[in-house]
Amino acid sequence: MKILAIETSCDETSMSVIEDGTKELATTVLSQMDTHALFGGVVPEIASRMHIENITIVLDETLKKAGLELADIDAFAVTYGPGLIGSLLVGLMCAKTLAYIYNKPLIPVHHIAGHIYANNLEKPLEFPLLALVVSGGHTELVYMKDHYDFEVLGSTLDDAVGEAYDKVARVINVPYPGGPLVDKLAHQGKDTYDLPTPLNDDSYNFSFSGLKSAVINLVHKEKQNNREIIAENMACSFQNRVVDILTKKTINAASKLGIKNLIVAGGVAANSGLRESLSISCQKNNIDLIIPDLKRCTDNAAMIGAAAYYAYKKGDIAGLKLNARASIPLK
Amino acid sequence: MRILFLSSSTTNLVVAIIIDGKIAYQNINNYNQDMSSHIMVVLDEAFKTANIRPEELDKIMVTNGPGSFTGIRIGLSVAKTMAYALNIPVIPISTLEMLASGSNEKVVSLIDARRGYVYAGGYDEKLNNFMSDAYVLLDKVKDYHLVSEDNFAFALIKPKYDILKIVNKHINEDGVNPHLLNPNYLKETEAESKLHHD
Repeated sequence: MKILAIETSCDETSMSVIEDGTKELATTVLSQMDTHALFGGVVPEIASRMHIENITIVLDETLKKAGLELADIDAFAVTYGPGLIGSLLVGLMCAKTLAYIYNKPLIPVHHIAGHIYANNLEKPLEFPLLALVVSGGHTELVYMKDHYDFEVLGSTLDDAVGEAYDKVARVINVPYPGGPLVDKLAHQGKDTYDLPTPLNDDSYNFSFSGLKSAVINLVHKEKQNNREIIAENMACSFQNRVVDILTKKTINAASKLGIKNLIVAGGVAANSGLRESLSISCQKNNIDLIIPDLKRCTDNAAMIGAAAYYAYKKGDIAGLKLNARASIPLK
Repeated sequence: MRILFLSSSTTNLVVAIIIDGKIAYQNINNYNQDMSSHIMVVLDEAFKTANIRPEELDKIMVTNGPGSFTGIRIGLSVAKTMAYALNIPVIPISTLEMLASGSNEKVVSLIDARRGYVYAGGYDEKLNNFMSDAYVLLDKVKDYHLVSEDNFAFALIKPKYDILKIVNKHINEDGVNPHLLNPNYLKETEAESKLHHD
């Protein structure tokens, strides 16, 4: 079954053709990152404007790469949320139009389900599994008994982890997108700053706004006292707190539930500090750790196409009234 | 000639199918900002009522602005995708021309752009454009005969829609390749204005 998947939830216009949830026939990702970098972050209206300019161009390129025509596609899948509403709508209308014209199923896919299924393109998922989804918009710990069966054990109560990275980056003068650069700086620095470990309790929830504020306050205080901030050390101290709590709660959950498969997904899965910490802890606890290839960590339609196959098998088919949703729980 | 006319850039969703110069389907409806849920349902009703399949269309006409940014994109995403899939041209129509279409005299149609500004364009009874569509201060166009869907502090005429008039005027245009069809917002984003003025 060949599924054409569309992902426009944030600042990437992406389409992909995936066969049977595992085989990637073609993927196009048009990133708007360079444009948004001029503004220090994603500007929703600009993101929507770029999506509409490129939507059919990305569609055409993806089909050509796959060597297919629209009539060869068996179903159309689309990220319907969560995400930027204006951006989501561009992809959603495109998918609905295609499903309507070709009279094929329209499969609505939750963005987080997509991130988790990015891993299915590398190696079939094994259940039960635990998924740590970390990105600019999400921080969630998800338990899966079987395909397309999600139980959110915990999530962020405020900022997503990637969001905290971007804000901390700004305070220590690292350009957007700050995450990867803060990660790099962290490796050159030492953990010298006294920062709190955020929401260090027995729950599986996370909170990063307090830690972020602690960094901002500390930077201001040091400036007032005419002391120079050592960006590398601040990056290292911040990253250590983030990585420690993510690792601790994830491993705790895996141990308590007796889960032997852990997958990490989302843009922050590219963070080397997190990868190292999790791989050490997983080895110690005899947990099989799967982290997707870097290109599959960030937003792309291949992951949506992979998830869509299992959503379809479960009977998730939308009607013509399907709408985009800025926020929607993973179920 | 079979033409689909589509507009979602104002508070009204407008869908019409014109077959050989006659209206086979027309629906002008305010869906309380929920265009995205209703547009495909109305299109489905349009094709069924007009008794044609999408692939029998020869051309698509769509309003590409000015108007609600999100609304414009909803219609354009449908029109671009449909034109691409069916390999037919798409003809962009000014939203302001559509608002003027039912008038039998020279009018300036307005869309509220807030903070004292409007999107305004002048059209005569044959839909010839005598004042280009622009983002201007409301005060600059106040003396014209005005039509608008939006509410202002003064009374003005609610537009009537004459979709057939628009279609007849543009029917012989070649249109554009869907890849090249873009919104005509008439206004840059606030983030861009800030960047340019800093």
